[in-house]
Parts: sequence; C-alpha cells; structure tokens
Amino acid sequence: MSTTSLLVIAILILATLGYFLASKRAISTAGGDRRKLHSLPVYYGSNAAMFTAIPALGVLLIWLLAQPMLVERNILSTIPDKLIPEGSSIGLVMSDVRRVADGLEVVVSTGTLSQNETLKLDTEQTDIRALLAGVGAAVGSDVQPEVLKAAQNYRAQTKMGQSWMVLIIVPLALIGFALSVLAAKPTFRARNTVERGILALLVLAASLAILTTIGIVFSMLFESINFFKLHSWTDFFFGGSWAPNFRGDSDLSILPLLWGTIYISIIALIVAVPVGLFAAIYLSEYAGPRVRAFAKPLLEILAGIPTIVYGLFALVTVGPALVRVFGRGQEGLLGLEWMSGATAVLTAGLVMGIMLIPFVSSLSDDIINAVPQSLRDGSLGLGATPSETIRQIVLPAALPGIVGAVLLAASRAIGETMIVVLGAGAIAKFSANPLDAMTTITTRIVSQLTGDTDFASPETLVAFALGLTLFVLTLGLNVIALYIVRKYREQYD
Amino acid sequence: MNDKNIMESHMGTTAIKISARDVQVYYGDNHAIKDVSIDIEDKTVTAFIGPSGCGKSTFLRCLNRMNDTIDICNVTGSIRIDDEDIYDRRVDPVQLRAKVGMVFQKPNPFPKSIYDNVAYGPRIHGLAQNKADLDEIVERALRRGAIWNEVKDRLQSPGTGLSGGQQQRLCIARAVATEPEVLLMDEPCSALDPIATAQVEELIDELRQSFSVVIVTHSMQQAARVSQKTAFFHLGNMVEYGETGQIFTTPQDPRTESYITGRIG
Repeated sequence: MSTTSLLVIAILILATLGYFLASKRAISTAGGDRRKLHSLPVYYGSNAAMFTAIPALGVLLIWLLAQPMLVERNILSTIPDKLIPEGSSIGLVMSDVRRVADGLEVVVSTGTLSQNETLKLDTEQTDIRALLAGVGAAVGSDVQPEVLKAAQNYRAQTKMGQSWMVLIIVPLALIGFALSVLAAKPTFRARNTVERGILALLVLAASLAILTTIGIVFSMLFESINFFKLHSWTDFFFGGSWAPNFRGDSDLSILPLLWGTIYISIIALIVAVPVGLFAAIYLSEYAGPRVRAFAKPLLEILAGIPTIVYGLFALVTVGPALVRVFGRGQEGLLGLEWMSGATAVLTAGLVMGIMLIPFVSSLSDDIINAVPQSLRDGSLGLGATPSETIRQIVLPAALPGIVGAVLLAASRAIGETMIVVLGAGAIAKFSANPLDAMTTITTRIVSQLTGDTDFASPETLVAFALGLTLFVLTLGLNVIALYIVRKYREQYD
Repeated sequence: MNDKNIMESHMGTTAIKISARDVQVYYGDNHAIKDVSIDIEDKTVTAFIGPSGCGKSTFLRCLNRMNDTIDICNVTGSIRIDDEDIYDRRVDPVQLRAKVGMVFQKPNPFPKSIYDNVAYGPRIHGLAQNKADLDEIVERALRRGAIWNEVKDRLQSPGTGLSGGQQQRLCIARAVATEPEVLLMDEPCSALDPIATAQVEELIDELRQSFSVVIVTHSMQQAARVSQKTAFFHLGNMVEYGETGQIFTTPQDPRTESYITGRIG
C-alpha cells in the first residue's frame, strides 16, 4: 500500500477517535449531565473530527498536486539537450523518465531487486528494458544512461518529498486532534463551529461550479487568441466560405456555419413552439388530473431520450420519408425532384423540433400554472369561455415567461450537435432551400477536432474560436431569457 | 337604519329573482351544503352571514355555476333564476355567468389597462356596436363603480397599478359593464381598509337600484348596514333567513342568536 493511502487511513482513524473522545470528554467535563453542555455531544465529536481531518487532508491534497510538478521541474533542468531526439520534445523524454521510475518502483515492490540494488543499476551491465518488461512496465526504446540517472533522481526526490509530507501532515492532524479534544468543555460552542464548517463546505461547492465556468471560458479564450494569431479575424467573422484544408491556407469563416445553425434552429422552433405551447395549454387548462398524471411524465420522457437516438430517427425515418415526399421524381409522392439525399436542413430541424417539444411544454406548463387562479375566475365569472380566458387573460399574463422558455429552447437548439451530424449533412453553404444539406457550428467543431490533429494549426484551433462564439451566443440568449423570466416573476410575488 | 331598510324592502317590489330548493353540494365525499332552500328578491341586497367554512361562499358560487370549474364538486336540487332552472342541460353556464356577475374576495384586475379591464366583458359578448359605443359603456360602468373620477385621466394605465380599494371598485365596474341581472359578491371588502370599505358599501347600496345583489360577508355590521335580507348559514345548513332588522334584533333560532351575539363563530 502506498504512503498516501496509509496516511489518509491514519488521518481518518484519528478523526474517528477524536469524534468519540471529544464527545465523551464533553459529557464527563459536564459531570455527566448533558443539559449543562452548550451543544449536543454529537457536535463536540464532529468538531474534533473536523479539526483533525480537514486541515490534514487539505494540506495532503495540495501536496499531492504540487509535489510532482516541483520534482519534474528539478529533473527537467538536469536532462541534457542532446538526449532529445530529432522531432521529439522534452515532454516525451520526461514521460520516459517517469515510466522508468515507475517501473523501478514496481521492481522493488515485487522483490526482484532490493532498493540498494536498483540504485547501483547500470545501463552497461543490465538490460533495463528487459528488466522492466519483466514486471510489466513497457519502455519504448532502450534506456539511456542519462534517462536512468534522471529516473533514479526522480525516485529519490519523490521519496524525500513523501517523507516530508508525512513529517508535516501527521503532526498537523495530531495538533488538530489534541486541541479539539481539549476544547470539548461545556462552555465551548461546538454547534456554532460545526455550522461554520458546513457553511464553508457549501461555499466551496458553489464556488467550484463558478470557477469551472470561468476556467472553461479562459481555456477557450487562450486557444482562440492563438487561432487569431494565425488566421485573420476579418476572414473568420466576415468571410463567405468554409473550406478547411489540412495542408493550410484554408477558408475558415463562421458565417456559412452560423447561417446553417440559425436556419436549423428556426425550423426547430417553428415545430417546437406551437406544439409545445398547445400541449402545455391542454395539460394545464383542460386535462383532468388523471390525464395529466400520465401525459405529463410521458411527454417528459421525450426529454430523456439521448440526442444521438433522435439523430438516428432523423437519419433512418424522417429523412427518407421526406425524400419520398419531395424527391425521387416520378417515383416520389409529389413527383418532385427537389430533394436528393436524406440529410437536409428540414430533416434536422423537424427532429430537433420534436426534441424541444417537452422542453417548451414543460416550462410553459409551469408558467401557465403560475398565473393566479383568481384571474381565471374573474374572466369566467364575466361569462368568458375557457378558451377566451386562455387567449385573452392567461396567455398574455404568461407571455413574458413563455418568451423566456422559447429563448431557452433556442439556445438548446443552437448548441445541439448529434441530430445535426446525422440529419443535416456536412456541407457548409448559404442556401435558403430547406431541402438542401447544410451544417452547423457544433458539427464543424466535432469534425475539426476528431482524428489525428495538430494543436498548432489554424484548422484545429478554429474549433475553439467557433466554440467561444457559440458560447457567447447561447450565453446572450440565456441572459435575455432569464432577465425576461425574472421580470415576469416579479408581477405576482 | 335597519327600520328604514325594512320599510324600503316592504315598499319595493318583492318579485322573486332566484329561487333555490333542496340544494345539496358535495366536494368529493364532503357534504358542504345541506338542504338549502331560499328565495332571493329582485332589487334587494341579500347578505349571507355565518362562521368560516359554513358553506355561504359555496352556495354563492352555485348561483352562477362557478362550482362547475371545480372537478370534484357536485350540485343537486334546483336553482331557478327568473323561473328557469340554471342547472338544466340546455343552459349554457357561460351565458349564465354573463347574466349573473361576480365580484371576488380579493381584487383581481386583469394585467391590462383600466379601459380594457372594463371593456373585457362587453367585447366578449358583443355588446358594443363600435368604438364610441364601447367608450360609452366603459364610462357608464366606471361611473356606476364610483371610480370614474379617479381614473378618467388614466384609462390606459394598468389596472394592477391602482390601490386595493380602487382595484375592487374597478372589478365591480367590470362586472357591471356586462349588464348582469344579479351581482354576486364574495366578501368584497375583506381585503380593503375601512375607507375603501365604506366606498364599496355605498356603491352596493346604489347598485340595488338596478340589480339583485347577493353579498357574502364576515362582518355582521356590514350585513346590517348594506342588506335588506339576511341568511344565516351554519355547518352547511341555512339556519335562518329573513329581514335583516329582524335577524339582528329578534332571531328565531338560538344558533343565530349565539352567532350574532358572538358566542359561536
């Protein structure tokens, strides 16, 4: 078992011990009368466990993240330049060093060689590669003496780091343990301390989500900046053609992709908004409780279908059906020649619209239900029919919320990938014909990044610029949607 | 004042507007109204009083079939308005509600302009020939709602922006605009302050000239002030019904006496 896991187990055992000792001590210092304690014994125990485990585990985590980085930097400076083969990089050599070091670790732990013997190893006398292969560690080429030396250095420094880690963390846990157990007296406000600990946990969880978002934006931003260093931004934003060419000198303009994205999204919304809205009106205003009880979950099942399955539906069912209607000349239903392949804007748009129906209907249903019953009663009491009430009172009152729901659906449509990959084709062009194949931003990101890619060429980096633009676009839509929804909410609160 | 009311109701017409016989209402398994029979006179204010949950609001909502909008509610017995059974299969509840207007406990102006709030009913029922006609209907309704002077300069501003008392008078004007024959009011002053209450009560007294008004109220003082006839409900039964002055001075039933003297409720 490794040092780290032993250390973690030791800390946890100490924390458990602290829990019981502290709660016992709290009761005994109160003379066995729980009522004299400020907090319940559980809180004294939790406080002790918290102070034993959390600082120690926190330092351990930071140490584990920092140590390999520091050790590697030390080792890197010792690797001579001549060791780096033509066309390779220092990173590859370093990974060799790491592999040899790990292999030697296994050699020692399986007992093939002792610790001292590994230190005396020499590339001249032993075939290191064969030795390592014997314990299951594969090294790409013969091990060079410098690499072996670096690996041995690596092992030594890692070992030393680990000893220091134990020397620092164990006392830290012990200090926390001792202080918190000693503090377990009736006057100590353990409950408040534990609550503050819980608060810290909640803050940590919340900030993690926000930090991740910021991290995503920054990683996209840096790669996009790299892209704009290699490719002119005027071509990207205002050029007219998308023709990536891995030999270089490509046309990389977002406009044809943006057109495809918007066109498909609009068709999807034309399908999803009326159907979803009518479904929501039926469910919230007309359906009895029994119909509602099974129809609503059934509609929401649509939302649980993976989008790739919708993509298959587009490819094998909707696309061919559309071709049968609009294509095939005399054999087709209408005798038209308008559509040649199953992949088209209309195919993807229709299927994406179906995907968005539960999204629109579920959100609209909630919003329509939020319209106060007193308004409906007022309208019905004046002799309006249910449908007049819905048209003239309920929908106008719910309209801002419904607009918000539609905008959220639109931002999903813009970000949708799988349906478009399978349903819309891969040709980037400006065309107003919904029966043409077209493509979107998301599918181009996928195709630019799949396969053997070199992260230094504009053809690859363009994916990040596309992604960032998409992110800004959907973020803008979401912000507007949330703003509208919030403004609407204030009306009734 | 009570004496004056009695005098007036004796002098006025005593035509029966609404006649209910053996009305039973069930909410699911709950028997909410038991054997209620009552004759409500035209051009009269009739007050329903009684403790909370006694069924007075439920009975009121039977008179314009608002209970139809509640799935589990079941009404039996006969309720006749102008000698026509309103629970008859041939009666359209939507038409009925145009004839029997309703004002609710909480002011519920639509999120529209003041003008559109009042014009809502007339527009639906096609009461106006043209825009000028509609303007006239709206103005007349707002005048009858005793709110015209306060809102005539801002007819296009939202009805929800008015004060509580103004909102309730707007709702009364809205109900009046469809020219109903009966006006049902479900605790119309419970959300209002005393000044707004006084204004609404004054309004109710004026509305008596043209409609039969039925008002549910928790305030016995209010019932005494505005009504000519009073019905006392208790636990789903109508215990006593008679001239307001008589109910409050010489109640026949011991339960009525206990309630108006504050011993039950």
